[in-house]
Amino acid sequence: MKMGKIIAVHSYKGGTGKTLLSVNLAATFAKHGKKVCLFDLDFRAPSLFAILKAENSEYWLNDYLNGNCGIEKVLIDLSNRIQGKDNFHVALANPATEAIRDMSAKDRKWEMRALGKLLSLRNVLLGEQKFDYLVFDTSPGLQYSSINAIVTADFVVVATTGDRSDVNGTKRMLREMYNLFEKKTGLVINKVLDSASKSKKDEMNTRVKNVYQAPLLALVPCFCEILRAEGNLIFAQDKPTHPFTQILDEMAKKIEANEVN
Amino acid sequence: MTREEILNKKPLHVLEKIRENLERLNEKMEVMIELQKHGHKDIQPLPDTPLDVMTLLSMPDHLRKTAMTICRCGRATADEVAQQTSRARAVESAYLNQLVIMGYLKKERKGRKAYFYADRDSQG
Repeated sequence: MKMGKIIAVHSYKGGTGKTLLSVNLAATFAKHGKKVCLFDLDFRAPSLFAILKAENSEYWLNDYLNGNCGIEKVLIDLSNRIQGKDNFHVALANPATEAIRDMSAKDRKWEMRALGKLLSLRNVLLGEQKFDYLVFDTSPGLQYSSINAIVTADFVVVATTGDRSDVNGTKRMLREMYNLFEKKTGLVINKVLDSASKSKKDEMNTRVKNVYQAPLLALVPCFCEILRAEGNLIFAQDKPTHPFTQILDEMAKKIEANEVN
Repeated sequence: MTREEILNKKPLHVLEKIRENLERLNEKMEVMIELQKHGHKDIQPLPDTPLDVMTLLSMPDHLRKTAMTICRCGRATADEVAQQTSRARAVESAYLNQLVIMGYLKKERKGRKAYFYADRDSQG
């Protein structure tokens, strides 16, 4: 039987759209009939609790990684948010300042155990509970929580923008991290201006080929509607005909069909 | 058990013991060769060192592949690691033993099989 997949959404810099992509990609998979769990692994700046309006969780991912509870206590069924049934779950990071401070002060041994805990999700959630996709929203750059997520994942969606420092950092990360861990990657270039013009598309494709040397998953234009929504909408659900939703639909289909790499 | 069965079994048992000892000897040789290749003379194991992702990143490629496989499997023999990495069992055995000496992995014998694992449960 086909085993599910773990997808990590990562980037070199903050503000590249990781959380937006993670939430909407997970919702798109769920709309395609897949059983999905979305994880907030950004312990330094948790945000999914606010976006998904689930602030009163009893157990958090922090508790699971600290060994205080099993993963089943952490999962919250939010299938009703996408008008589904038992197919859209989330595992949230604790937004309390004390919890953020605690997670920032973990030692190497704890991080090693945390990696073991993340790796065991494969057996528990993909194996026993038959999830099709676990989507990890990670913190940016090279830090323990995000590298643990990348090592655990089968596929890394790398979000990037046209910013010069982001281009440079993403290029180095591709070469010095994802490649070293032999990870399959797919690039999403976000906030692209003039994305409809042929010259812009050609420029992006050349950059992907010459600079990143990694497969392109999607070009996402800069949408004012996304900014106006102020994080209140899940576009994949709430705006089914929006071009962003269509881009995500194509992206999810490529991942489902194993077309990337 | 008949006398004939005992007689038949004994040489087999002795041969099994010889094979077991040869395998252990082979493992030690592999470790020594590996250490020599990397310029280390002593084979004193280093104290336990966490096999965390930053350590994995800084490892030479050949050891990272082996260490990553153990991270994924939790616990495995050289044979099982070799199946995952598509490299020879003897090569994996040498790398695994080197990782033990470096303090990243633990090794435990069960009968004829040697299992390697990262000790995530010890305190410290």
